[in-house]
This record gives sequence, C-alpha cells and structure tokens, in this order.
Amino acid sequence: MKKTINQSLSILAALLFVVSSTVVAQQSDYQIQQDFRAEYSELVNRVDNAVSSEDLEGLNADIDGLEADYSEYSNIIDAALYPETFSDKISDLRSRYAASEQNISVIEQLNERIRGLMEELDQFRDQMANLDEEQADLKQQLDRSSANERRQAALIRQYRQNLEQRDAFVTEFLENLLTKYQSMDASTQSEIADAAERLEDNPVEVLKTIISEYTSTADQSSDLTSADYLAMRAQHGYFADVWDRIGDRLTNTFTPDSPVQERQEVSDLLAAWQASVDIKLWDALSTSFNQNGIELGSFTSSDTFFDALGIYVRDAAEAAVELNSEEDYETYRNFANYWNSTVKGQWGELLIEGNVLTTSQMAEVDVQLGTWGENAPPTSNLMFILFLISLAVILGLVVLLVTKKS
Amino acid sequence: MAKPTITTLAMCVAILFGAAACGPSLVIQNVDYSQPIESVLSPDSNNEVHDQRYAIKFNVSNLLEEEGSSSVDQIRLIRNNAGYYFVTAAGFNNVYVFETDEGELKLKNKIEITGQGLGQPAFNQRDNYIELVDRASGNTYNLNHEGRN
Repeated sequence: MKKTINQSLSILAALLFVVSSTVVAQQSDYQIQQDFRAEYSELVNRVDNAVSSEDLEGLNADIDGLEADYSEYSNIIDAALYPETFSDKISDLRSRYAASEQNISVIEQLNERIRGLMEELDQFRDQMANLDEEQADLKQQLDRSSANERRQAALIRQYRQNLEQRDAFVTEFLENLLTKYQSMDASTQSEIADAAERLEDNPVEVLKTIISEYTSTADQSSDLTSADYLAMRAQHGYFADVWDRIGDRLTNTFTPDSPVQERQEVSDLLAAWQASVDIKLWDALSTSFNQNGIELGSFTSSDTFFDALGIYVRDAAEAAVELNSEEDYETYRNFANYWNSTVKGQWGELLIEGNVLTTSQMAEVDVQLGTWGENAPPTSNLMFILFLISLAVILGLVVLLVTKKS
Repeated sequence: MAKPTITTLAMCVAILFGAAACGPSLVIQNVDYSQPIESVLSPDSNNEVHDQRYAIKFNVSNLLEEEGSSSVDQIRLIRNNAGYYFVTAAGFNNVYVFETDEGELKLKNKIEITGQGLGQPAFNQRDNYIELVDRASGNTYNLNHEGRN
C-alpha cells in the first residue's frame, strides 16, 4: 500500500515537473520584452503624470518590482532594446522618478506658499471690509451730526483714527509684499507665476482694489484738516514708492500674460488717487494758512505751493527792509511761529513723504525766513531824540550865556 | 600535329584555373547570424512584410498560398545562427525554413508541425536550435534548418 502511494507521488511529482517545464518552455522571448516595454511605459506615464506625492506613492516599489521581475530576462531585453539596455531603462526610470519627486516637492512648496498668500489676502480683505464699513458708518454719523459741534468733533477724531488704522494696516501689507517680492529672482517668479494661475485673486488685484478704495475715501472725505490730507498724500507717496520697487516683479509673477497693461492700470489708478487727494489738500492747506493770518498766493500743486511760500516770505522780507514797522515784525513772528511749530513741526514728515515739499525746499524757506528775521525788528529812534534834546539844551544854554553877557 | 594542340589546350585550361584561383577567395568562418528575438511582422495590403530592424522585406503571398490561407495578421520570423530564416504564423501547419540567395529566399525545408494549425506560435532563439512554442496548445518544438530535433 505504502509502495503504491510512493509510486503515485513519484508519478505526480514527475507530471508536475513536466507540466512546469512545459509552462516555462511556453514563454515567448518576444512576449517577455513586449510585456517589459508595456510595463515600463506604464510606469513612465505614471511618473511623468504624477502631480502630487500621493501619485508617487508606491511607484518606487513598482520600479523595484519591475527590475526584480525582468532582471532574469535582461539578456533578452538588452537584445530587444539595443542599443539601449535593460539597466539603462531602469536607471532612466529611476532618474525620472527622482526628477518628478523633486518637481512635486517644489510644486507642493509653491502650493503651500500660494495657500498662505490666499489666506493672507482673505484676511486682508476681511479687515479692509471692516474698516470700510466702520468708515462709512462714521461718515454717515458725521453727516447727521452737523448740528452738534462736540459730537461732530468726536466723530471726526474717530474717523481720523479709522483712516490712520487703515493706513497702518495697508502699510503692513505693503511691507509684507516688499519683503516677499523685492529680492525675488526670475526663476522663483516664474515658478510662482505657474502656481499663481490657480489664484482666484492676486496681490496686483488686491492692490488695485486698495487704491480704488483710497481714491473713493479721498473723494468722499470732508471736514478733515490739512494734516489728514497730508497723511493721505504721504500714504500715496509710500504706495507709489513700493509699486516702483516691486510693481514689475508682481505683474510679471501674477499677471504674466499682460504685465505692461497691468502696470499701466495701476499707474493710472495711482494718478487718480493723487488727483483726488490733491483737490482737497491744496484747499485745506490754503485754508490753514489763511486761518493763521498768512495770505499765500493761490497754489494747485507742490511746485506752486513752494512758489507761493517763497513769494510770501520774499515780499514780506522786502517790506520789512523798506518799512521796518512793528506791524511787519508781528507778521514775521506769526509766520515764523506757524512755519516752525505747525508746518515743520507737525507736518514736516508728511510733507516730505507725500512729496509736497522736499527737505531742500524747506531749508530754502528757512534761509529766506532768516533774512526776513534779521530785517524785521523795527529800529529804535530814542537815541536820536535824546541827541536832539541834548543839542537843544546846549544851544539854549549858549544863547542864555550870550544874552546874560550882553 | 595533334600533340602540340592538346598541349596548348591543357596550358590554356591550366592558365584559366590559375586565374580563377587568383580571384577573391577570402572566407570568414564561424559567422553567427542568430537573431536574438523573433520579429513579428504585419503584412501590408500587398502582403509585404518589412522588418526595419533586421533589414529584410519580402512578400508572403506564396507562403499563404502554400498554407492555403488568404491572409494572416502577423508573420513570425527568426534567423538561426547558420543564417536560415524560419517563418510561420498563427493558423499555419508548417514552419518554413529559407536560405538567402541573391534577391530571393529559397525554401530549404518545410517542417510540418501540426495538422490543426498553430494557435499562438512564437520562436525563441536557443543555443543550438530554434524553439517554437505554441502558447495556445502548450506544445514546444525544437527545430533546426533540417527539421525537428
């Protein structure tokens, strides 16, 4: 019985050997290399089309699997691929995988940056919207409260604070943009430009919105002082400066299809903003000087404002030389006090930042003011009168002596 | 009179053989013509197959006629180390062995494989023979230009 079982097992083993030999023998070399080519192509496609680390997951193991599965047929594959070889193909696949992994890593970093940028923009927009809402509300309250002076003053103070808060917020945003894009090289610009195509909104659009909002704020503003308009002008100056420094990079990065057109649009918006501020600024400055007893000639630009100051000081200095009156001296003291304490003291930085007056122009006014100051104090006649009296006394005594002798 | 003529003729023949012996006589031995992987070729509308890699182009109409079929999807072709071409196709009963000649392939041998036609034939180059496998039936045949081993 045992012998029969052993015989049966031997026959079965022999049959299995024959069948397995037949299976091995049934392989087609042509089919093996065709299968290798197909599997290789599929892996190449997967590597080349991978756009995320999830796509790359398992690919490295599959490449290892391909190499392990076909390494025993490398001679056949070498012959089929000549002049390439099996190891060339596997190396190429691994190189592609490494390059793809590197690209995906860069893309994912860029995506992260874009996500961060989008979040920043969203937060910025929300904050701006809040400030706008607050500003509109304050403006309405201001319009309604014209009867109550105290309340109006408080509202104006609040309105001014809102503007300052907004300026500080936008300045922070611009500083942030400057830090990010001022020293960005061309290749990073190009990489971000590719990723930025997915942005719904971009920094250039946000800047355009900010400028438009500033323009409408300037248009709608009322009851503000020269200092407020000078602050707007200074903010405009800062904005224009930032745009000069990073405008090219921003437009090349975020609007690569039409950078020139975008730059022109922003420049036009900046010009419109300045025009809106200027309309109010020159009136407010003229009123401020008038209210302090300084009648400047009319001015509608930085240059004509500087000319008006120069003409006023020069004319007054000439009048002081000619008339040398107490009244002229009082005019001088009034101007000098207003110029030093208010114009230079309070507005100095804003005038420079807003490109209204330069430091050299202010120094020039100072020099003219010094000349005026030297000639302004009226000269005293007391000594001349005393001399005349003394002369009259002497003459009287001489006459008296002569009369007595005779 | 006859002797000098015979002598002259013998000399002429000797000169001719000598001249022939002085002609091209270089022979390279042990040439291995073996094609490592079979070529699988699709006939065009004129029944011509063209193997770009191994640079051979021929018409298979006569083969089809010989096999009694009108068309075939693919022709399988391999060359052994001796330089003979082995040709077959799915549905063929035979493997045709050709030797090359000037502008032609001459049938060297027609090896009968089956009476039912091959299902999925494939040639493999092996050390001293050509292996024919029929992946449909699982049969394997070892061939050389003289027939089955």
